[in-house]
Amino acid sequence: MEQVTRNHFRLPRSSAILLALIAGGAGLIPTFLQAEEPLEYEVKAAFLLNFTKFIEWPAEAFASPGSPVSICILGEDSFGSTLDQIVSGEAINGRKVTAQRIKRAPPPRTCQILFVSKSEREAARILPELGPGVLTVGERDTFIREGGMIAFVIENRRVRFDINQIVAEKAGLKLSSKLLSVARSVEK
Amino acid sequence: MRVFLVKGNSLHLLFLLFAFTSLTQADAPQQSPPDQAGPAALKNLTLEELSQIEVTTPSKEPVKAIDTPAAVYVLTGDDIRRFGATSIPEALRLVPGVEVARIDASHWSIGIRGFGTNLTRSVLVLIDGRTVYTPLFAGTNWDTQNTNMDDIDRIEVIRGPGGTIWGPNAVNGVINIITKDSKETHGILVSAGGGNEEQGFLNFRYGGGNGKDFDFRVYGMGFTRSPEDHADGRNFDDWREGQAGFRMDWKETRDTFTLQGDLYDEIAGESVGATSYTPPYSQTLYANSYLSGENILGRWKRTVNQANDFQLQIYFDRTNREEANYAEIRDTFDIDFLQKLQLPARQNVSWGLGGRVDPVDDPVVVSGLQFVPNKRTDYLGTAFVQDEIGLVARHLSLTLGTKFLKTNFTSGVDLEPSARLLWTLSEKQTIWTAFTHALRTPSDSEEDFYLLGYITTLPNGMPYFARFNPNPNFAPEQLNGYELGYRRVLGRNFYVDLTGFYNHYHNLFSEDLTGEPYVETDPEPVHLLLPAEFRNGLLGYTKGIEIAPEWRPKDFWRLRGSYSYLHMNIGRAPDSGDVGTAPSIVGSSPHHEVTVQSAFDLSKKLQLDLTYRYVSQLPAQLVPAYSTGDARIGWRFNRQYELSLVGRNLFQPSHYEDGGDPGPLVGIKRSVYARLTWSR
Repeated sequence: MEQVTRNHFRLPRSSAILLALIAGGAGLIPTFLQAEEPLEYEVKAAFLLNFTKFIEWPAEAFASPGSPVSICILGEDSFGSTLDQIVSGEAINGRKVTAQRIKRAPPPRTCQILFVSKSEREAARILPELGPGVLTVGERDTFIREGGMIAFVIENRRVRFDINQIVAEKAGLKLSSKLLSVARSVEK
Repeated sequence: MRVFLVKGNSLHLLFLLFAFTSLTQADAPQQSPPDQAGPAALKNLTLEELSQIEVTTPSKEPVKAIDTPAAVYVLTGDDIRRFGATSIPEALRLVPGVEVARIDASHWSIGIRGFGTNLTRSVLVLIDGRTVYTPLFAGTNWDTQNTNMDDIDRIEVIRGPGGTIWGPNAVNGVINIITKDSKETHGILVSAGGGNEEQGFLNFRYGGGNGKDFDFRVYGMGFTRSPEDHADGRNFDDWREGQAGFRMDWKETRDTFTLQGDLYDEIAGESVGATSYTPPYSQTLYANSYLSGENILGRWKRTVNQANDFQLQIYFDRTNREEANYAEIRDTFDIDFLQKLQLPARQNVSWGLGGRVDPVDDPVVVSGLQFVPNKRTDYLGTAFVQDEIGLVARHLSLTLGTKFLKTNFTSGVDLEPSARLLWTLSEKQTIWTAFTHALRTPSDSEEDFYLLGYITTLPNGMPYFARFNPNPNFAPEQLNGYELGYRRVLGRNFYVDLTGFYNHYHNLFSEDLTGEPYVETDPEPVHLLLPAEFRNGLLGYTKGIEIAPEWRPKDFWRLRGSYSYLHMNIGRAPDSGDVGTAPSIVGSSPHHEVTVQSAFDLSKKLQLDLTYRYVSQLPAQLVPAYSTGDARIGWRFNRQYELSLVGRNLFQPSHYEDGGDPGPLVGIKRSVYARLTWSR
């Protein structure tokens, strides 16, 4: 039976446990002591709320004087309940801020901000179908090229955005200079 | 489980723990202000402050095959649908390096890189993280791994010892079946159909969600399948099954929770050998096996930050098997933890811990097949740690790791170290190489099992048997595997994946005579007994290559192929008492396997898929080489309805694939079925 024990990778019980505990301990302790970083979509949701504060919509963009400022998410929803938590209780100029999820291009005056999820590969098809008064926000790097107004981009692990002011103003939207100054780039 | 008892020196150990962790703590990435989490807090920040915060992007793309230093092949849900596979073993035919030979309607002989048997040993099979390998014989019962094929997101097959997927039995490969997240299965899906072999089937699924953070689905399925082709007219292998299950997924901002479960009940006809000490001593029984089971699994994943995420999983699984020659009720309780960390100096560390307890009851059905004691508890503990080190950023990465394995069958802890190197020459070309040491732990069938074989009746009327007695010293089978792989993207639409391997084995399972025949009086009646044992008396090597090209000459036409070459050289160790099982092992795996698939989108609504398959001979099974073809036409006539027609094994009325059943070879029939799918 000598050949049976050839090349046997085995450790006596106690040193194996020691190794496992060290490897494990290293992982566990930092977990509970490190502060949690916010997630990408938490920050994007905060930006979407901020856009409602730093942009003026024309009166025709709304169905009625009492209708809310509606943020619509088109496509795969990576926000979860984050966006709802952020807009809860918020109001701009007497209008509530609300969030909804949609599956195709919205009818006119139902959305004031249209967030096009990165799962939607053909934004170029949807954008021309929208009426004026809708701020379009996207995540793909082709978004501005396809006619979008604001595109989120991750740079150095920070959430930044590019603005195409020309398209936004053509849609009747007024972007505050505060917003423009924080953008990574602005096309005028 | 007493894994964490450390004798003495515990202060010393604690000191080491804290010393190590304070090192990693100091290197943790700097947090930029403000350092609070939570959407509510973020609302109050100015635009400038929001632009400065560093974030975690949990949306990690699954690692692409081209970047993996292992021989991985992914069968997508669409590949499976277009092949028209109605079971997981049938879908596995498309994977290079995997040998699938159908024994009868409900049994397959499957192996990866050789050693295919109806037990499918030495391969780890998982469904959504639940291991479905049984410690009874260290293999997998495919007749109870039925799944609603529409719910499968993908099947990842790793040939060779597994990488980060860890667990017992991952010696020759890992088959990981992953079902879709409930988010992807909203709406109603009903499909029904039938044919000559798939006589009738009905699948139903309903899924929904609250549109934000909760999704679910429920499903039910049932089928009845006909026997295969039997020259002796004994159509024993009819099979019917009913199954239902559910899945729920919750997504919070940094946590996801999944709860899923299934239950099934089936009757599968089979032919098995049964031996007993009393006449007629040895028979082939043609009878129904009654198989049922249920399982429930919960999983929690948490993303702590960019560099840290972990997962905890718990499941319970019960299988109930009543066969003509044995029965078993096995309960499995399993808990696993896995964490991934990014450490400084381009290191991705993963580590995990897991434990599993299986109380089992194997009541005696025939006296010639017994597990003693028949009520037992099997257990195992595993751990692994792995570090993927970016030696040269984006170009060269070295992965070092090891698994630790402890079971009730072995004393001490076994190590399975592995080293892998990935050289990314460019976005389109990668080379990888790996060395792994893996082992297949002993099972109940080696250590607790009495198996009687009838030889003859002597002239004086006394029966003469051989019996395999339990071998409590059965050692794990050992593998040292060396692999080399190359992947290349050529132009815009051609891709090829090449792998070569050399596996050196020792302590392989052998059937050894342990002494001279002697007269035994218990159990009665008096008989002559030749004692034997399962020992570790075989060794040798296997080597081979797998080539899998893929070409998309047009947008609507995709061609895929695979060629696998296998050479097995297995023999007896110098002083082994093995009775001569090596030629049968070598002769039960094919030298060559070829598949060619053509996927044609004839129009937006019409799909045509053609598959050609060749498998070279299995001399030990008396099965000649065969080639055959499959076809599927799918016609989606509007958004809700699709009709498909699938033909399988079309070249001959029937052909042999494996001789795994007692009695004559079972022919696998040419078959056709039609399926109508309604979805909303």
